[in-house]
Amino acid sequence: MRVIIFSWEYPPRVVGQLSGYVSALSKALANNKVDVSVVTYDDSATGQTVESSGVKTVRVANPVKSQIGVLTWALTLNEEVERVATNIFYEAHKRIDLIEVFDWHFIPSAVTLKNAFSLPFIYSVDSVEDHRSPNQNSSYNMAIKSIEWLGFYEASAISVKSEWMKDEVVRIYNVPKEKITVLPAELSSLVKEILKIYNEVAEVKKTER
Amino acid sequence: MMLSWEYPPRVIGGISPHIFFLSKHLAKQDMKVYVVTCDFPGAPAHEVIDDVEVYRIDSYKNPAPDFATWVYLMNMNMQKETTALTRKLGNEIDVFHAHDWLVANAGIGLKHVFRKPLLVTMHSTEMGRRDGLHTTTEKMIHETEAWLTYEAWKVICCSDYMISHVKYVFGLPSDKLVMVPNGVNIHNYDSVEDLKDFRGKFALPEEKIVLFVGRLVYEKGIHVLINAVPKVLNKVNAKFIIVGSGYMKEQLLNIVRSMGLEHKVLFQGFLDEPSLLKLQRCADVSVVPSLFEPFGIVALEAMAAQSPVVASDTGGLSEIIDHDVTGVKVYPNNPDSLAWGITRVLVDGYYARHLRENAYKRVQEKYDWGKIAQQTKRIYEGVLGEYSKSFWSNQSTSL
Repeated sequence: MRVIIFSWEYPPRVVGQLSGYVSALSKALANNKVDVSVVTYDDSATGQTVESSGVKTVRVANPVKSQIGVLTWALTLNEEVERVATNIFYEAHKRIDLIEVFDWHFIPSAVTLKNAFSLPFIYSVDSVEDHRSPNQNSSYNMAIKSIEWLGFYEASAISVKSEWMKDEVVRIYNVPKEKITVLPAELSSLVKEILKIYNEVAEVKKTER
Repeated sequence: MMLSWEYPPRVIGGISPHIFFLSKHLAKQDMKVYVVTCDFPGAPAHEVIDDVEVYRIDSYKNPAPDFATWVYLMNMNMQKETTALTRKLGNEIDVFHAHDWLVANAGIGLKHVFRKPLLVTMHSTEMGRRDGLHTTTEKMIHETEAWLTYEAWKVICCSDYMISHVKYVFGLPSDKLVMVPNGVNIHNYDSVEDLKDFRGKFALPEEKIVLFVGRLVYEKGIHVLINAVPKVLNKVNAKFIIVGSGYMKEQLLNIVRSMGLEHKVLFQGFLDEPSLLKLQRCADVSVVPSLFEPFGIVALEAMAAQSPVVASDTGGLSEIIDHDVTGVKVYPNNPDSLAWGITRVLVDGYYARHLRENAYKRVQEKYDWGKIAQQTKRIYEGVLGEYSKSFWSNQSTSL
């Protein structure tokens, strides 16, 4: 099983709790014989590393430093994420099973890679725009929501961390319930559950071929 | 595969007709050309125009916070749809050709995903448009342009002036830059219709027609022409026709009124295209008094219409006009010099004919779309030759 993980935060860059979560999860996956490459953002510490756990990481900088907002920042950074993910894909002789995307930031890359290589992706939801910016429907918030919606629509599977979030995603984005899995909090059962999703998505991909 | 944010019927600026003619003439040279562009009300999502495959993508129609953010969101959609299209076409696309920063993200993404060379034509720069970089948005656009030219295999510009400008603002190596001029369609002016009645709507038979076509803004130097009007009228009986509009219109009208020359200067405003083409053919002299001009397509149009050209010696105009051969060059921002140039053409019929004939020949030789497409095709072939030696070319992208 070869997997690429997209996360906009990963140690040593810590913005919220997602950073530690993705780090712990990728280690656990590597321990379970999953070949994990994490693609993440860092403006100075760029490049490739292999951690002692076996997790490979690639950190990319934003090619455009002057930015007017998070949206334009994310949309230009996506091209770099896409570039290195493509390199990983070719270096693995195209034998990548799936991409897991954490939150909306790198959804555009995942969608393009899906269209280009039939590479399925899983959308892992930490939070959604409606909760981060409640009752705000400016064109800025709506644009982020439209990217989230695109992710829910194009993803092969969606994972959330609570029943409440599952209901919210169904309510706000009209996503079919069957597409969403609620993950347990405890790490070993969490890994088991995620591996189950991975296998299902990878299996569907094989039969499609 | 051409990427452009505009293609007819979506016409915002000069890129739209550029892509239209370039693609059409590339297709005539046995190239398979795809154009991916933004959608437009009433225009189909896919059609074939003169053997060119045109695809119109969903240009992101949700409200966007501002123009620049919309551009990036539109690029997200363009990339998504173009990836699916390119995949569907199999291994058919050899080169992606992006036009301006407006399609930067899509072009760069497609290059890496399909591992094919990316070319870019820089029609203009943010630094040039704004005369510097003053806001974060302008800096962001400038850096996006720099990133695009960095990722491109070759950067095409339409004049030597633009080559040196682009080289300077993005710090590019010379061997990455190629000059291919803009073209003009001479057949637009082929009609043999008698224009006597048409001319009569604008000027008396004994008046010579001096034509200006352009936005009435400072950089186009229209105020220089207005100040030259009395100087010309001292020598020749002429009618000055001003086509176009802009923020300087009222101010210019006041100057003309204060000189008591309303009967000699006609502010025509916008003109429909067939009438403009006819008027260009009627003009005894066409004036391009610009202070800043990356290319100067109006001068080229006048040359194709066989109207003698008087232009200021600046930017792209300096390259289009060969003084005393294909037109008259005058000092920029100098009404005396401009009046001298106009008078010289109007009083000497033999000289005017000499300029007209040379200019028409030059347009056919150098600015013909067929020839421009040929040059562009040669650039593609050169890039593909270099590409074939790179490790990317060994990897089949077909899945």
